[in-house]
Amino acid sequence: MATQTGFDRRRINGPEESHPPTFQVEEDFESRRWKLGEPRRTRKSADIRPIFLQPGLIDQANGSAYVETERTKIACAVYGPRQSKNAAYNEKGKLNVEVKFTPFSCERRRAPMRDAEDRSIAVAIHQALVPSVRLELLPKSTIDIFVTIIEADGIEGCVASGTVAASTALADAGIEMLGLVISCAASVVGTEIWLDPTEEESRSSQGTLVLSCMPALETVTSVWQSGQIKIEKVLECMSACQERCIDVHSVVAQALVENL
Amino acid sequence: MQSLSKAEKSYIQVGLLSSPPSRSDGRSLLDYRSVALETGVAPLANGSARVNIGRNANQAGGGTEVVAASKLEVESIDDDGGVEGGRIVCTVSCSPSAYPHLSSGALDDIQQDMTTILHQTLAHPSLHPNNLSILPRKKSWLLNLDVLVLADAGNVYDALFIAARAALWDTKVPRTRSVEYKARKTTGTKPGGTGDMDVDEETPSGFDTRQIQNATDFELPDYWDEGEVLDGREKWPVCVTLNLVPPVHYLDATGQEEAATPLRLLLMFTFPPNGPADVQAMRMLGPGELKITQLKDLIVTGEKYAHDLYHSLNVKLKEEDVRRNQKARDRFEQHR
Repeated sequence: MATQTGFDRRRINGPEESHPPTFQVEEDFESRRWKLGEPRRTRKSADIRPIFLQPGLIDQANGSAYVETERTKIACAVYGPRQSKNAAYNEKGKLNVEVKFTPFSCERRRAPMRDAEDRSIAVAIHQALVPSVRLELLPKSTIDIFVTIIEADGIEGCVASGTVAASTALADAGIEMLGLVISCAASVVGTEIWLDPTEEESRSSQGTLVLSCMPALETVTSVWQSGQIKIEKVLECMSACQERCIDVHSVVAQALVENL
Repeated sequence: MQSLSKAEKSYIQVGLLSSPPSRSDGRSLLDYRSVALETGVAPLANGSARVNIGRNANQAGGGTEVVAASKLEVESIDDDGGVEGGRIVCTVSCSPSAYPHLSSGALDDIQQDMTTILHQTLAHPSLHPNNLSILPRKKSWLLNLDVLVLADAGNVYDALFIAARAALWDTKVPRTRSVEYKARKTTGTKPGGTGDMDVDEETPSGFDTRQIQNATDFELPDYWDEGEVLDGREKWPVCVTLNLVPPVHYLDATGQEEAATPLRLLLMFTFPPNGPADVQAMRMLGPGELKITQLKDLIVTGEKYAHDLYHSLNVKLKEEDVRRNQKARDRFEQHR
């Protein structure tokens, strides 16, 4: 480990090698028996996991939000708009998204260094948010969004919940936006479309799609798809996601009103 | 992406939106610049390709230039990293000369973004070739696909995927044969022997090259070519970038047009031999937004552009195969 490039002497490093403990959990045992073609076990295919959303959790930030959907737990803090230091003049503001996984967020320990997956999630969240924020009103400034993934259950869930948390935190910070950005994931399993897949479910799917939209304006801000899906299935997925986004939008709006 | 003044941006946008639309190089909205493709450009790689979009006709410069090369490595499965059935790792690196206006930090970010899109698309299990395994549970191939952006004159994502597809099409996986070592059977004969000649006794060979479960190692048989092509090489996807200036969209943007376009939609399609096309990946880039009905229409029309691109690319790749095998052999015959 000491020869590894990302080694940081200033930290208390974990053991050189570690393996996740393997439990004989009953859930895991059952899921191994799930076969393609069977219906979804935990909920209906068009259902999403229940959302807990709490704006204004972090005092020192201008705006913040905490979101929890079963095993996905994400905290998000927004700082700014503040002056862009050592950057050239820009008449539009800059939106800066940083995503961090906690070392204990996944099955395997994640070393506390920035890795490739952090940036790919940050780019996806940035793309989902940037059309909604009125950056043209904030010349020479930067908005920093820090997303901390406390527990992860599938990358699609992280992108979707991270986007919802970040948009809520932006609203909590009082930054002008065109609308709240809501995001929903879908996966194609066999012939069915399962919304908001867990890690387990997205692994057994042919393809996944994350749609981010502003339900208030009925516009799409980002679409992120990977895997192998037929075109008409993609269109179906997008409609299903958009429908669900409208429901989530009311949850977010409710949480923001209660926090006032 | 280069920065343009507001006046320049609006000049380009007005040109695109006027009827008939006008672009600086006189193309129509759905025209590509000329695409040049050559495979087998890196002799030490297992497969390689070089793609240029929009080279100047009279002088030999300009255009988006991308080189892709695949290299195979043997990996042990018990060590960390190796996976049963082999794996694919894609990396994009950008030459600083392609983006002279970017700082090294920004260059790192941009190549990381390209790497993510390429890797997430091509390393997906739905595209995984079947012949990257060497010995079950012991050894497998690691396919490194390295793509180098030498110059960016717009539409770099289409060029990346064309180059990646061509390099993977060109990739040859060496043939392997598994080897098993067996301890020689120790017969209980006395050192002096019985005096008879052991002619009829079966002597098992130390080498047994049949495909056996407990094979421990492999060897590369000598053969006239470099191996067999990657399994399922027809299904590597192509990418079309739809540049959106609502209400119109156009293909193959130049660098300046890209800077004047608020939103781009990347669509990666794969075309199974029979049946409709599959969407392999989809991304939106830029601060613009779309109605969902517009987005759905764009996906359906994008499939048609991708289909044309896919077919002309296939024709060219087959032509390249002929050029490099048959014609090269004929030329060799003539010179002998």
